[in-house]
Amino acid sequence: MLDTLQAPTTTSSMLRVEGLKAYYQMNYFGVRREVRAVDDVSLTINRNEIYGIAGESSSGKSSLIKTIAGAITPPLRVVEGSVKFDFAGRELDVYADPQAMKAARWQNLSYIMQGSMNVLNPVRRVKHAFHDFAFKHMGLSPSAFRARVEKHLQRIGLDPHVLESFPHQLSGGMRQRLTIALATVCEPDFIIADEPTTALDVLVQQDVLALIKDIQQRMGASIIFVTHDMTVHAAIADRIGIVYAGRLVEEGPTLDVFRRPQHPYTAHLISSLPRIGDNKKRSALPGKPPNLADPPSGCRFHPRCPLAVDKCTNENPPLEARLTGRVACWRAGEVQTA
Amino acid sequence: MFKILRDMLRYNIEFAIGFVLTLSIFLFALAHFWAPLPDTAIYLLPPDMPPSAQYWFGTTSRGQDVLWQMSSAIWNTMLFGLTVTVLSRLLAVAVGMLSGYLGGRWDQALMTLNDTMIALPNIPILLLVYFVMRDSMSWPVLAATAALLGWNYDARLIRSVTLSLRNREFTRHAVFAGMSVPQILVRQHLPYVMPVIFFTAMNNLIWAIGLEVTLSVLGFSDINRPTIGGMIYWANQHQAIIAGIWWWIAFPIIAVVLLFLGLFLLAISVNEYIDPRSRLSRMGA
Repeated sequence: MLDTLQAPTTTSSMLRVEGLKAYYQMNYFGVRREVRAVDDVSLTINRNEIYGIAGESSSGKSSLIKTIAGAITPPLRVVEGSVKFDFAGRELDVYADPQAMKAARWQNLSYIMQGSMNVLNPVRRVKHAFHDFAFKHMGLSPSAFRARVEKHLQRIGLDPHVLESFPHQLSGGMRQRLTIALATVCEPDFIIADEPTTALDVLVQQDVLALIKDIQQRMGASIIFVTHDMTVHAAIADRIGIVYAGRLVEEGPTLDVFRRPQHPYTAHLISSLPRIGDNKKRSALPGKPPNLADPPSGCRFHPRCPLAVDKCTNENPPLEARLTGRVACWRAGEVQTA
Repeated sequence: MFKILRDMLRYNIEFAIGFVLTLSIFLFALAHFWAPLPDTAIYLLPPDMPPSAQYWFGTTSRGQDVLWQMSSAIWNTMLFGLTVTVLSRLLAVAVGMLSGYLGGRWDQALMTLNDTMIALPNIPILLLVYFVMRDSMSWPVLAATAALLGWNYDARLIRSVTLSLRNREFTRHAVFAGMSVPQILVRQHLPYVMPVIFFTAMNNLIWAIGLEVTLSVLGFSDINRPTIGGMIYWANQHQAIIAGIWWWIAFPIIAVVLLFLGLFLLAISVNEYIDPRSRLSRMGA
């Protein structure tokens, strides 16, 4: 609502990630190991946008999102690059200013973590979770805070009585809703969600996705979320980024990525989705995702790529603009989609 | 608080029994403030009188009323036990939770100290302290020494619980939301650790009372101050069993057994209050 009143800013980007490299660095008994979970990722997320990150397991999705949230602990370390947020004209560099970052957490930036149904402490009533996480960020009196939380829960479709319950008395769907309520009660500008619907069945998932989208539209927040489930991306993401072996290989508006994938990996991901009325056998991609401690040379996808040529083995393709998005492939656009 | 007590008395038979037992022993011990004679006075009553209407639990060979001696003795023994328990719980919780949550070098340093303390034998050290202190040995000093010896196993136990809590989602969330280390430990982890603290407190109380009785029976304490062990010490000095003065030994032992029983029932039912799942299922909520 406020956004329409503000003068249009020159850049409407909310998050800028530049050349981000985050490695797991381990040193066991004198043997150094380095797992390049996030390797040179650059991306921009605009105000009011839902950005989805897709990729298979162990491709570095969660590491990427943790690094963006500034919630990393050793052995994961940022080696290079920067993560910058822009909250209403206030620039915030996650790794240069930890103090400001701490203040911005929950108020401007909230995080729905993986396995978030277990975010509630099993031996404490739900109201305490709201108090612990959100109270000091909102600067309200206890009674005003309580009223605000109750109103927020009602908007989300939860009875305020759940505040007096213990987590084990609630269903999985209710707990997931509560987690989302916790993450949105301060009306943050930016929400980070790591597999927000993975543990839910399809119907509850639908419900929760609608809820996330609804909140996002009402608050004018941006969301970045991770899931391996392409149907979730199709349902709510404005743009999606495909991650393979720690690198962003393709990015673009959701519809375009689904209709005209440019990267052979994306094309394969999308052709593996079942379609109603189509009973053709889906072929599996040969091989498995590379070991990130010892990634392949050149394009990391080349050992499994049906279109690989010599150049792919030797040179790493840059992420370059193409059509409506960006793609990192020497043979971009040559792939045939079913 | 009153509502919780009422619910516990109504729905939890162990709690009801334990509560009544402990409360009556406590009231009995409290009565020594209104004792007709000072508890250190001797030979003011006829000695060796069996239990009768006048002297309910009989009199000792030193001319004291067993009833009033016991009242003082239970009070003093409980005071000693509770002091040891509270002091050693503070140590165990602080060391266990910090070591489990901070990890790394803190963990190594604290656990090295902890394991060194475990290796020390208790009774010889207490005797050594007694011989060094001699006449300036008072019960608070003895309690502090016992507390310093009684926290280490429980610190390890509490550390193990905290260690598993450290990697839970709610801890990661709390860190992200900007809660400080003390806040996380007190608000998020302490409720989880509470049943362990209560249960080890129970064990520790029994251990402390047992230790006090052992030292007093051997005479390694202030023998003029009545305690359960002190009464048995004097009964042995006067050969009460051989002389047939059974009431001098039997009643203190019965009292301390009832005290243990009451505290034990309280401890297990308090656990149930702290674990909301079992409390609510018992109440049918």
